[in-house]
Amino acid sequence: MSQVKTKSSFGVAQLILFLSIAVLVVVVAFPVLLILFNAFWVEDHFNFDGAIMILQQPATYQALKNSLIIAAMSTIGSTIVGTFFAWLVTRTDLPHKKFMKAMFLVPFMLPSFIGAMAWKMLLSPNAGFINQFFMQHLGFTGPVFNIYSYLGISLVEVMYLFPFVFIQVCGALERMDPTLEESARISGAGLFTITRKITIPLVLPSILSGALLIMLYSMAHFGTVAVLGIENGIYNIPTLIYERIHQSGGSFDAIRTGTVLATVLVISAALIIWAQRKILGSGHYQIIGGKSFRPMELKLRGLRMPMMIFCFLYIGFTILLPTVVIFLVGSLKTYGLSFSPENLSLDNFKFILFEYAVTRDAIVNSVTLGFTAAIITMFAGVMISYVIVKMKVRGKGILEFLGMLPFSVPGSVIALGVILAWSGQFGVNFYNTVWIILLAYIARYMAFSLKANSAALEQVHDSLVEASRACGATMWQSLKDIVLPLVKPGMLAAFFLIFLPSLRELTVSIMLYAPTTRTIGVAIYTLNEDGETVISAALAAIALIIIVIGQFIINHFSKKAGV
Amino acid sequence: MKKGLVLFLIAVMALSTALLTGCGGGPKQESKDGGAAKGNKLVIYTSMKESLISGIVEGFKKKNPGIEVDYQSAGAGKLMAKIAAERQSGHILADVIWTSEVPDFYMMKKEGILEVYKPSNLKEILNPFDDYDGSFTAARLGTLGIAVNTDKIKEFPTAWEDLATKPEYNKAFGIADPALSGTSYMSVALLEHQFGWDYFNRLAANGTRIGKGSGQVVDDTSSGELSACLAVDYITNNKIAKGAHLQMVYPKELIMVPSPVAIFKGSKNLDAAKKFVDYLLSQEAQQKVADAGTVPVRTDVKQNPKHNLPKPEDAMKNGIKVVYTEILPQKEATIQKFTEIIKK
Repeated sequence: MSQVKTKSSFGVAQLILFLSIAVLVVVVAFPVLLILFNAFWVEDHFNFDGAIMILQQPATYQALKNSLIIAAMSTIGSTIVGTFFAWLVTRTDLPHKKFMKAMFLVPFMLPSFIGAMAWKMLLSPNAGFINQFFMQHLGFTGPVFNIYSYLGISLVEVMYLFPFVFIQVCGALERMDPTLEESARISGAGLFTITRKITIPLVLPSILSGALLIMLYSMAHFGTVAVLGIENGIYNIPTLIYERIHQSGGSFDAIRTGTVLATVLVISAALIIWAQRKILGSGHYQIIGGKSFRPMELKLRGLRMPMMIFCFLYIGFTILLPTVVIFLVGSLKTYGLSFSPENLSLDNFKFILFEYAVTRDAIVNSVTLGFTAAIITMFAGVMISYVIVKMKVRGKGILEFLGMLPFSVPGSVIALGVILAWSGQFGVNFYNTVWIILLAYIARYMAFSLKANSAALEQVHDSLVEASRACGATMWQSLKDIVLPLVKPGMLAAFFLIFLPSLRELTVSIMLYAPTTRTIGVAIYTLNEDGETVISAALAAIALIIIVIGQFIINHFSKKAGV
Repeated sequence: MKKGLVLFLIAVMALSTALLTGCGGGPKQESKDGGAAKGNKLVIYTSMKESLISGIVEGFKKKNPGIEVDYQSAGAGKLMAKIAAERQSGHILADVIWTSEVPDFYMMKKEGILEVYKPSNLKEILNPFDDYDGSFTAARLGTLGIAVNTDKIKEFPTAWEDLATKPEYNKAFGIADPALSGTSYMSVALLEHQFGWDYFNRLAANGTRIGKGSGQVVDDTSSGELSACLAVDYITNNKIAKGAHLQMVYPKELIMVPSPVAIFKGSKNLDAAKKFVDYLLSQEAQQKVADAGTVPVRTDVKQNPKHNLPKPEDAMKNGIKVVYTEILPQKEATIQKFTEIIKK
């Protein structure tokens, strides 16, 4: 009896392992290999010098440096902001906590390049509404703040990226077994000691994994730097790749330059991950005990009201204000007019929704692509993470290596890779179809799914599965009755982490779009770049509405499903 | 919970079949999905903005009800990148290309990817190309001038030199990124041809800024972020018509950039493509070109005086002359040098 069981579970394990490897190879490894190949293999022979020459150009150095500076500043800022707010809404008696928590998740829905557009309107040195206000009414001679700067770019990224840390830390703090803290308190430890010795070490993996996501995201992030940096000559690697490819009228040389720059991006990303892993060491804690509990709350006392006001101000300034600006500018007849009633109308919105084929198609494309990519990636992610985290099979090493790939392959690299892989040279031509964007989305968001799912899986103690196996359940039975229900929140998180961002995805789709496959992000960005500022703001406003409605539907749906 | 597992399995299977049998599934999906795009749908790549191209396509559709048309309006650099990638994959999706980056057309002609077609109404139009052979035909004589924000600038510039010397343009004059915009690249090449690189050094010393697309610098001028910019005629006129506080000014040395139209060799819609080129050069379409606020290639269309544009024959005569084949090999170098000078 026991023999039969072992045999069947071994088969299942091999099958899952094989599928997991296949998915990662096809979706991620193959395109990336092609990038490396094309970077060094020119006209049938190995050419290392050419690649080095490209890297020796000052512009390339500078772009790499800029990528690192901006990523470092954004990561540090977002980690502080995210952890602080997460602690505030989970562990203190802050008033309106539920509302605040919901609001802090809002920037996650908002596309950072739309935010960047809004902040450009608010804080560009000569014409930004805030700067103008200070100069005209408060006697300032120069702008208060110039958004076209490293600090400006990083601050905008912080505003939109901190939820990565916020979500992770909130989750960890909520799931954390309070008996650990309680026992420390009973043993006489003060709040400070408890925080330092128990709470922080327990949530540190979550903080770091959120920070890791931000660092990688920011380093290879196209939108914010494209909107705010280029004007002042601040390029990072993705914007440089984008510019180089367009500079040379699209000769293959430029694509090759792109592949070399992409290689730099892959290598530096891999280095960051390696360093992070070193720092993290054995930072895995199984802290879900399978019991439910209520963590203790810190009394803010005198700080209660000031903290609440601070939170409301932060929300108003970083969420409400840019949104209002986008809607107002979207209603203008042409950019540069004042917001007086005779200049405002709904014509732009009418044009976008009913007359302009480009924008209508873009909306349909993005919703379909996002949903499909999220579903596929969610399931593939849970399968792959399960093998990596829980299974003990031969050949797992390959998968662990492959599983690292999606994390270290930034969007712009994926875009180049799928062009090289799926545009006909290998018998499959998806170029100019939605399928190539879908493949790129799956590759791009696999990291999110792996992260969310393996975080969830790691916290499922092996003893639960062992217990079920000991009671005679098969591998499949314990998977579906124990593991899946427990990681369902992780899978759902993966879905959110993919569906909503892909609705406003830009970095990948900007390189892959075709006449019939523009996405919302592409449409907004290209309209803005082409100087249709009011139209692009109006489309951005519509995108925000769609995203918020999408979030409401998902929330409602998942509540009904009892998750 | 059982549902979850079933879903999981189905998705895994579907995903793996879809991916692993990509070779088998690919063409099928393509014929379903791309059928409309490849069948008899004429695809036009153009750098002309919505305000210009949409009216022309509408007019063409009205004249030729049987032909479906799709167009992609984007910067010339982006379109060429797209075409390069498409050539890598062995099939150019577009049938017709109409941009303002003349060197690209010479390059494509040299590479032999353009269909030679002399439009039926060729005799009626102005032709700025001395070495014309039918590979591409000018369909618009675009002009670039200085768009000024009328709230900020009271005394309009009269010469290009003003931008490099006058304090009101310090850190307040913008040029679109020539890597993104074909007209911007051509203007840079023409200004360099006329005044030399030193002119750009002087511009840089006066804080000239690189913008993004050719339209965005105009919007930034309209908002007051810039006081003036190097601007494309019809983009500026379109915004003036909507109430923007802008004025178009032309110094003596006129930047005139012809916008050629060409058909790709191997186009599956060759007849429709030829019909489109003919229509584009017809009086009806050229009137739309003039109405959009730019210079047509025909002398028999009405120009609206409020646009303050040169007549087509004057644009031909006064434009800075340059041998296009000579600036062609320098394109990348020109853009890089310009970017280096202005960025620092």
